[in-house]
Amino acid sequence: MATDNASRSVGGWFLLVFAIILVILGLILAAGGIWLVTLGGSWYYLIAGLGLIISGGLMARDSLTGVWIYFLVLFGTLIWALWEVGFSPWELLPRVFGYIVLGAIVLALLPTLKRRQAAI
Amino acid sequence: MFTSQRVLAYVVSLSLATHAVAQDAEGETEAPEGPTSSEAQTPTFSATPQPSDDPAPGDWAAWGRESSASRHSPLDEITPDNVSDLEVAWTYRTGDMPEEGEGKYAPETTPLKVGDNLYLCSAMNIMVSLDARTGEEQWRHDPQVDPGAIPYSASCRGVTYYEVPDAADDELCATRIIEGTLDARLIAVDAQTGELCQEFGDGGTVDLWAGIGEKVPGWYSVTSPPVVVQGVLVTGAQVKDGQAEDAPSGVIRGYDAVTGELEWAWDMGKPNLDGLPPEGETYTRGTPNMWTTASSDEALGYVYLPMGNSSVDYWGGNRSEEENEFSTSLVAIDVNTGEPVWHFQTVHYDVWDYDLGSQPTLVDFPRDDGSTVPAIILPSKQGDIYVLNRETGESLFHVEEVEAPTGGVEPDNLSPTQPSSGYHSLAFPNLEEKDMWGMTPIDQLWCRIQFRRASYKGMYTPPTVGQRFIQYPGYNGGNDWGSTAVDAERGIIIANYNDIPNFNRLIPREEAEERNLRPIYAGGDNTDRESDGPAEGAGDPQVGAPYAIDVNAGWRAPVTGMPCTAPPYGGIRAIDLASGETLWDEPLGTARKNGPFGIPSHMPFKIGTPNNGGPLLTASGLIFIAAATDDLIRAIDTETGEVLWNDVLPAGGQANPITYEADGRQYVVIGAGGHHFMETPIGDYVIAYALPEDGN
Repeated sequence: MATDNASRSVGGWFLLVFAIILVILGLILAAGGIWLVTLGGSWYYLIAGLGLIISGGLMARDSLTGVWIYFLVLFGTLIWALWEVGFSPWELLPRVFGYIVLGAIVLALLPTLKRRQAAI
Repeated sequence: MFTSQRVLAYVVSLSLATHAVAQDAEGETEAPEGPTSSEAQTPTFSATPQPSDDPAPGDWAAWGRESSASRHSPLDEITPDNVSDLEVAWTYRTGDMPEEGEGKYAPETTPLKVGDNLYLCSAMNIMVSLDARTGEEQWRHDPQVDPGAIPYSASCRGVTYYEVPDAADDELCATRIIEGTLDARLIAVDAQTGELCQEFGDGGTVDLWAGIGEKVPGWYSVTSPPVVVQGVLVTGAQVKDGQAEDAPSGVIRGYDAVTGELEWAWDMGKPNLDGLPPEGETYTRGTPNMWTTASSDEALGYVYLPMGNSSVDYWGGNRSEEENEFSTSLVAIDVNTGEPVWHFQTVHYDVWDYDLGSQPTLVDFPRDDGSTVPAIILPSKQGDIYVLNRETGESLFHVEEVEAPTGGVEPDNLSPTQPSSGYHSLAFPNLEEKDMWGMTPIDQLWCRIQFRRASYKGMYTPPTVGQRFIQYPGYNGGNDWGSTAVDAERGIIIANYNDIPNFNRLIPREEAEERNLRPIYAGGDNTDRESDGPAEGAGDPQVGAPYAIDVNAGWRAPVTGMPCTAPPYGGIRAIDLASGETLWDEPLGTARKNGPFGIPSHMPFKIGTPNNGGPLLTASGLIFIAAATDDLIRAIDTETGEVLWNDVLPAGGQANPITYEADGRQYVVIGAGGHHFMETPIGDYVIAYALPEDGN
């Protein structure tokens, strides 16, 4: 850990918990994604899951790069979803809605993250 | 076989081909215009046509409005312009509600309207007459059906109206209401008073268990109204699916509508048997049955029977030749002989529970040269719509035998090909991994994994043991008992449909025994098991077959209860009658009552929900339909598919609505009874809508 846990503000704790959640989601997607790939299915979930693991891991270390990677996953997901189902709203919903909600939280945590990175 | 009374009734011979023509030519003896029928037949015509064959314009005299089942009314007071003014004119409650919880209720009730009265039945077969103007109860007859007789659902889709030819008007039972009950009785009561018709059977009742075998309540039940053709009352019965190979027979029986005497029996396994089987024997067990409503041609004397599948549904290894011949077929029977005239099979070697559920519709089918052909329109659960010559059974359009997938547990028995209608199909392309759905990427991923693990070879994927197999469309259709409606003047078929797969698995016998899957005769009632929910086939023993069956109906994910496939789950489509081309196609039902974990989303968006129940059409160009799981009744523009009006029902609208006229006012009536399997609220409502009186 780059910073001392004792010095965490409330925002700092939020950031850490959120980062851990991203890692957990990423692990679930990556594990299921590996299974799906072995069954001959889409590679998307494995790749997205790895992306979330890296993103969450970096954010837990107060790295802004984690934010960039999160938005890379989100952007990639949008492209993939549009490629798979076009603009069909009910089908876009499960593919992108969750990422957008998480993306909004990432943005909300950005000031905290910047502060903490500056403090390193 | 004839009573002298009936012979007298059919002396007038006419080559009437269709109901529409019969309506025009009533009382006349001239031949209808245009080349219609083949010369081989010499149809007879009842000198006293039944209201069900030729309803008054303001009536709805048979389940599908008439014997030809158009579900189209000539009424036009309610129009696309004023439909938004509709208001509740009256509400009636039958009082028939389950003792505790929501039970297995799914009344699915559609009233009849003849003269000044409505006639209907409740979920548990209580027969009721209402004043058509006020909804006030005139009489009721409760046949005291025991709840133990409830099969898959407590349903009574409707009753049958019959006028005894040449009877004096004031004679008791000159006009009568007849129903089939869950405990397998035919009951006839006087239409004016509700009193039992003493001359009918044994004091007003005919026991349908006669000749069936050991009486197991709930295994053999009537849920659809019988039909009367040339004085013969024809009925089949529901045989509860999935129990055992040695199941009640699918025998079709014709009774004298006046006396209740058995006129004939069509037992496909005993073609020479004409009445009751000899003492100690039964009608051939396990044969395909008819649980839905037949349609009929009074002039030809034919009843058209949409037959279901053999017992058991998902394994066919010991089916007889006759079963394979007639299973899941439309069978035309001449009511004068009780013998099949022709039959048309929609699935060969059905191991998917693709029973014919829809009541077919008789039409004058328009040909390019301006002539018409006496035809019958037959929708199926796979979504194929067939147009057949109703005199010969020949298809008017090309029916292709398409190569079918093979494999599964009985590769040598499966049919190498399956029929495919060249006229129209409600079905959608095969599922792909990307069609898998969920609320989040995680449940979507889970469903994708299940998709890849399952056996799926498109429609007619053979049942597999061990591995799940995907059945698409599932057993709810395509089109089901709600059936399609036909506006012959506009030349439009209106068909609502489901677009949902089932996720199935055959269960090895040892596992079935470990799970204690017991048939109904051994006290099993697998529909109530919490782990599997109330779906039909969610753990049925199929005793006598090597495998039991586990159906995940609608293929829903565990935990969230959300479907694994993307919406829409149901739609409504307008089809050009002459060409079979789609005119418009819209999702049916909003998301307001559906959501994850069973929580209503309250979202007003048109998502397209599962639906059960059919449409009605009016001459003014309106479709009225409830059916979807959003508990709405709606009016749709026949020409465009646009929803013009809707109203929230107090319970699920899984029933076919009717429209009629009383005292110059047009009403639209729907039974809001809910449906346990569709997971809509159970109710006992009959609700009438009309335009405000001062507004006219």
